[in-house]
Amino acid sequence: MKKAIAMLLAAVMLFAMTSFSFAEGNKVLTIVAWDANTTGYLIAQKEAYEASHPGVTIEYIDVSSQDYDTKVAAMLAGGDTSDIYMVKDIPALLNWYEAGYTLNLNDYMKKANYDVSGFVGMEVNYAMNGEQIALPFRSDFEILFYNKDLFDAAGVAYPTNDMSWEEYKEKALKVADPSKDIYGTHYHTWLSTAVNYTVADGVNTLIDGEYSDLAYFYQIIQDLEDAQACMPYSEISAAGLHYSGAFGNGNIAMMPMGYWYVATLITNIKDGAYKVKNWGLASMPTKEGVAAGSTFGNLTGVMINKASAQQDLAWDYIAWLCGEEGAKVTAGAGNRPAWVSEGVADVMSSIDGFPTDEGSKAALLPTYVAIEIPGTALSSQISSILGEEHSAIMTREITIEEGIANMNERVQELLQK
Amino acid sequence: MSERVKPRKHRMSRLERKNTLIAYSFLAPNFLGFAIFTLIPVILSVVMSFTEWKGGSLTTMKWVGWDNYATIFNTAKVGKQMAENGFLAGINYFFSKVDLGISLKNTVFFTVVTVPLSLICAVMLALVLNHSVKGSVGFRAVLFFPYVASMVAICVCWNFMLMKNGPVNQMLMFFGSSFNKSWTADSKMAMWAIVLVSVWRNMGYYMVIYLAALQGVPRELYEAATVDGANKWQQFLNVTLPQLRPTTFFASIMLIIGCFKIYDTVAIMTNGGPGRATKMLVLYIYNEAFTNFNYGVASAIAMILLVIVLLVTILQFSMENRYSNN
Amino acid sequence: MKTSAKVFNSQDQITPAKILVYILLILVSVFTLIPFVWMISASLKLDREVFTFPMQWIPETPHWENYQVIWTKVPMLTYFKNTAIIAICVTFIQTLTSSFAAYAFAKLNFKGRNVLFLCYIGTIAVPWQAYMLPQFILMRSMGLYDKLQAIMVLQAFSAFGVFLMRQFYQNVPSDLCEAARIDGLSEYGIWARIMLPLSTAAIATLVIFTFVGTWNDYMGPMIYLTREENKTIQVGLRRFIQENSTDYHLIMAASVVSLVPVTVVFLFLQRYFIEGIATSGLKG
Repeated sequence: MKKAIAMLLAAVMLFAMTSFSFAEGNKVLTIVAWDANTTGYLIAQKEAYEASHPGVTIEYIDVSSQDYDTKVAAMLAGGDTSDIYMVKDIPALLNWYEAGYTLNLNDYMKKANYDVSGFVGMEVNYAMNGEQIALPFRSDFEILFYNKDLFDAAGVAYPTNDMSWEEYKEKALKVADPSKDIYGTHYHTWLSTAVNYTVADGVNTLIDGEYSDLAYFYQIIQDLEDAQACMPYSEISAAGLHYSGAFGNGNIAMMPMGYWYVATLITNIKDGAYKVKNWGLASMPTKEGVAAGSTFGNLTGVMINKASAQQDLAWDYIAWLCGEEGAKVTAGAGNRPAWVSEGVADVMSSIDGFPTDEGSKAALLPTYVAIEIPGTALSSQISSILGEEHSAIMTREITIEEGIANMNERVQELLQK
Repeated sequence: MSERVKPRKHRMSRLERKNTLIAYSFLAPNFLGFAIFTLIPVILSVVMSFTEWKGGSLTTMKWVGWDNYATIFNTAKVGKQMAENGFLAGINYFFSKVDLGISLKNTVFFTVVTVPLSLICAVMLALVLNHSVKGSVGFRAVLFFPYVASMVAICVCWNFMLMKNGPVNQMLMFFGSSFNKSWTADSKMAMWAIVLVSVWRNMGYYMVIYLAALQGVPRELYEAATVDGANKWQQFLNVTLPQLRPTTFFASIMLIIGCFKIYDTVAIMTNGGPGRATKMLVLYIYNEAFTNFNYGVASAIAMILLVIVLLVTILQFSMENRYSNN
Repeated sequence: MKTSAKVFNSQDQITPAKILVYILLILVSVFTLIPFVWMISASLKLDREVFTFPMQWIPETPHWENYQVIWTKVPMLTYFKNTAIIAICVTFIQTLTSSFAAYAFAKLNFKGRNVLFLCYIGTIAVPWQAYMLPQFILMRSMGLYDKLQAIMVLQAFSAFGVFLMRQFYQNVPSDLCEAARIDGLSEYGIWARIMLPLSTAAIATLVIFTFVGTWNDYMGPMIYLTREENKTIQVGLRRFIQENSTDYHLIMAASVVSLVPVTVVFLFLQRYFIEGIATSGLKG
């Protein structure tokens, strides 16, 4: 009798297990992301993962990119159970961590013996108090885009991967032709594209409360503006001019921008929406004493929601996404994955529409990438202050010296608290 | 009949109770929704202003007393200035260096300029368009248009209008102005750009309210005034204006609140810049809440706003009551 | 109408003052419309042409296809449908409940009237950004997250409508109500038979404002509505602002299209502002 019951129990258990695996057959993984339906790499990642993992469907929840942090703050506070959230910036991630929404990935990583070597150390920016709370899948660094046709027309040599800032400035002045509306370079309105290069030396940071090192870069911009070699900030910001259209218009010779712009550029040239045709990439210029190929960059990553009901599956996905396989898919969509290897770099440079010259290929591998702004409890407040003073300096409402004095005073006051 | 025997006082209070019940029955449908969806959250945010909260569940709120208020007023620094350089130096420091002081100053300036301008434009337009001017239907629609359009599109349009070589500057140059900069990139003009767009948007809106109010002015009053030999101007002063009083009360309160709460226009047009020249209270609140995730601090700033608006409202309220009692 | 002709006897003559009024009206209208002209012009351009100088008011080759693209690039039709449903429901509830509540505030005496009224105004004064999060948590616990009903209840019971209607009702002479009470009409009867008919212009105003306000609301739907099939126009509009590109020409085209329904509502209702409709009730 006992045996019969045991057999029955076993049968029931077996049945339950098989039916469980049936249910597993159509699992849906929900990922909160921005611009989900139009971003090339998100579409490619979804397709690739679903193809190699039958039975799992990825569903994106699309949030406006401008209001991503606001909306996500509300969703998480309301107890949202979406499995994975994309991480847009580090201060927001830090807040999610403090509010207790992020899953500690240490155990998963240990169990899977997860290889982090491909991140070349960048993943530490997502670690708080020894907990890895997110993994990066995209790592964009600042790089110099240039319009080959404008350099050819002006008879100036293309930018190289070992330029100094003086050489860069000289080139911008030479190529510029105000009478024809041709600009030597273009600065978007952000603080980062203007002066963040100071951190490329690995010593300076934007959170130390000392900003005299920014003056060098502000001075270059003001000189270039005065010579009409770049559009003045005040007009770019007033018009809300987007850098993509600006460079696309074909009258800008150089533009420092994050690597992500490669994908936008290639797509729009293919669609015929841009006037620019032949373009190349060069490493960002460097100051004297800083190794050529040094630049700054930022991460885009994924975190697992503590309230998710399928954390194992979510881990399986992010492990794939951030590892080499996922990296190749991301690279194939024209983006720079956080995981880099030779195989990945090959994929990056072999996509259709990527410049074929050696210099552009070499620029894909920076020698050093500093984090744009490190994540601390005060990072977002500091960047608000810097942003405010930045706009005052760039509109010339105050001098560079006054602006920097303000930055120093205000940030130091914040740090003292 | 027994009611008659009862003392007068008791009967009155019974009637009162009945009236109150009737009044509550009128209020209930709206008040229930209002209380649940607005009043309770607002009360929560009052509580929140005394706590430290980073998001998370409501139970993670930590009571910190007046700390958030001390932070936004920067009492440490302002106090130090007062102790070292006198009271005025402290006040000066508050309004020129502290975020709250600067955004308060900006918001008050913006409100003081925008409210009267909007009101005057709205009344004048309503008076003109209330008469059957030919094409008044078209004019009304056109003037209401700015309110109908989506803010994103509108602010981008205006930014372009007000650019260095934009149509507005070109027109001003024609009249001999030497101003040659984008409005939003200039510390002084940026504020005026926001005033301009706000008045442009408000005037049609409040014109509609005044138009509706003018329908309610009994014509007999004008007839009586005419019989008394009042001219048009006297009619306006003695009939129209007093009759528009409840509307003006409404319009000015809503305008003041609207101006104190201005956010969209600033966020899209200047984002508070250049520097902190157009940083307003709600922009400050928004940044504290959703960039720095200091919800407690954000609520504390909102309370400052609430107190100011309540004071202004009570003042106007008592003025209105005094008027209607006269 | 004869009496009105007597009061405004200059109506049919052309006087210098009248010409001046017209000139001013036309100037103000031009000032009002210029940004819209630019908006339409930008909606017919290519993205990179939008901000070029010298500006072209009439694009060289108008790209009418922008108006086609917006319907296919994002599910604009769904957004329109959702926005319309929300706006109509909100307008209906708002108008009904707030005209009801306003009657109590304007014409009835009861305990706690002023305090309650200050409560209403007080909440108008608190910026939504400050209490958005607690409100969201509350609504979510009531199961209203990602439902159109969330925006409806959020907008429908705003203090604004009550305040507006209260002010209009104050204009109605209290004697009228007194007389009706003596005639034996209940308070509900007074509201239905006297207040409502006398405040058509006010109701038209509230309808317009509520409709427009709900139609153009961005933050509410942005926070509360998540799935594609629930989003509204203003949220959809921002989908053209992306992390790596902003399609200003499409934003402008979509904005022009989203203007149409609201303009229709306005034109339809503005006939209630024509002089005389409300006052004729007073005489009768």
